[in-house]
Amino acid sequence: MGRSGNIILFISFVITQIVLSSLIDFGPLLFISVYPLFLLTRPANTSLNSLLLWAFAMGMVVDYFTNSIMGINSAAALVMTLFQVRILRLVSRKGELDTQSRPGLRELGLIRFGVYILSALLIHHTAISLAESFGVTHFIYNLPRMLISLFVNTLIILLIEFGLFYKNWR
Amino acid sequence: MWGKSPVIKFLSTLLLFLTLEVISISFISSESIFQQAKISGVVIKLKSVMDGLASGVKYYFGLQNVNEMLVRENLRLLRENERLKAFTYTDVDSLSLKTPPSEDFSYIPAKIIANSTNKLHNYLILNKGRVHGVRKDMGVISAVGVVGVISAVSDKYSYVISFLNINQSVSAMIKSSGTFGPMIWEGRRSDYAMLKEIPYHIDFMVGDTVVTSGFSSMFPPDVPLGTIRKSSVTKGSYNNIQVKLFQNFNSLHYVNIVVNNNKDELDFIQRGSNGSVR
Repeated sequence: MGRSGNIILFISFVITQIVLSSLIDFGPLLFISVYPLFLLTRPANTSLNSLLLWAFAMGMVVDYFTNSIMGINSAAALVMTLFQVRILRLVSRKGELDTQSRPGLRELGLIRFGVYILSALLIHHTAISLAESFGVTHFIYNLPRMLISLFVNTLIILLIEFGLFYKNWR
Repeated sequence: MWGKSPVIKFLSTLLLFLTLEVISISFISSESIFQQAKISGVVIKLKSVMDGLASGVKYYFGLQNVNEMLVRENLRLLRENERLKAFTYTDVDSLSLKTPPSEDFSYIPAKIIANSTNKLHNYLILNKGRVHGVRKDMGVISAVGVVGVISAVSDKYSYVISFLNINQSVSAMIKSSGTFGPMIWEGRRSDYAMLKEIPYHIDFMVGDTVVTSGFSSMFPPDVPLGTIRKSSVTKGSYNNIQVKLFQNFNSLHYVNIVVNNNKDELDFIQRGSNGSVR
């Protein structure tokens, strides 16, 4: 995928994020976060520095368009990106991912892809909750919201991945 | 070459991450009052910790000056004490008050350059010598005890035979009864000494204070030495009293050299004594 392809994908994820977060509204018990899929499925040869830049840009744009606290998604996305390479290394087998390939459902299989997404989202959602509460006391009150969002967002991301990017499903 | 170095790569990534994260957090804090309050709370806490550390370091490096100031203050108080004592011993008489009372002792503050405590014949070297007025056989004390006796003097330094020397003795006195005897160090622990030849019939209690007797031209009276720990009877008529010393010789840094202003006169009178008891 070229540079223009990446930008189109980036914009598509931003739009999806905006649409879904305005459509699905369960009050303070749930926040929708599907844009991490874009960051988590960057090709394996993408350097960590460019991943960080993508994460920052994505987080900022999402924050701007979804009326959340400015900087909260970018802070969380940066933390998630810092760990995502390590998680991917843990869930993938040696030599399985060549440098160009996209670490998706087709390449990793459902279980390992599910673990990858769940682990990364756990970090992302924890970071969001911490940035919202800035302390452990409020973080505990935030725990149900974080766990529900983690479950729902993992499900939505798996569905998007299965519906849009998994080509061999037939 | 530098671009491929893993350390440089790691550092550049870390720097990028921190920069972007700081930008994000500063956005968060500027956007939300709650986060702003929390962040400023953390910043204030961090700043107070840093300030505390800085003042601790500053205080530590300033201790040298504080010590020197305390030594000067101590010396001033000792002189003041001597002057007042001289007044006390003078008859309260309008005629005698016309002449200023003489002070028996004056002091020269000194810093310890070398100090040994682990031998049977321990010594100290002080940074004051002949040019400062130090002479052989002058006593050396601290605020909490006798330190030793000047044994040799050069122009700028003096050599002190420590009280922690098995050949050294000090004339000491049980403060409550006024009974005196020689106090010696037995060469075992640096915090204990033995007060000898206290008659059996003298009453004293564990915890009683032992001070210098003043029956010596080297040390002024009433310099605190230690407290009575226990005693044993020797030869059926004497008590040997173990004294816990106030002075910790291992943490000694500053001392005062005792100058007896009447020494020449006293020596003249005492000429002929063997000088074994100081």
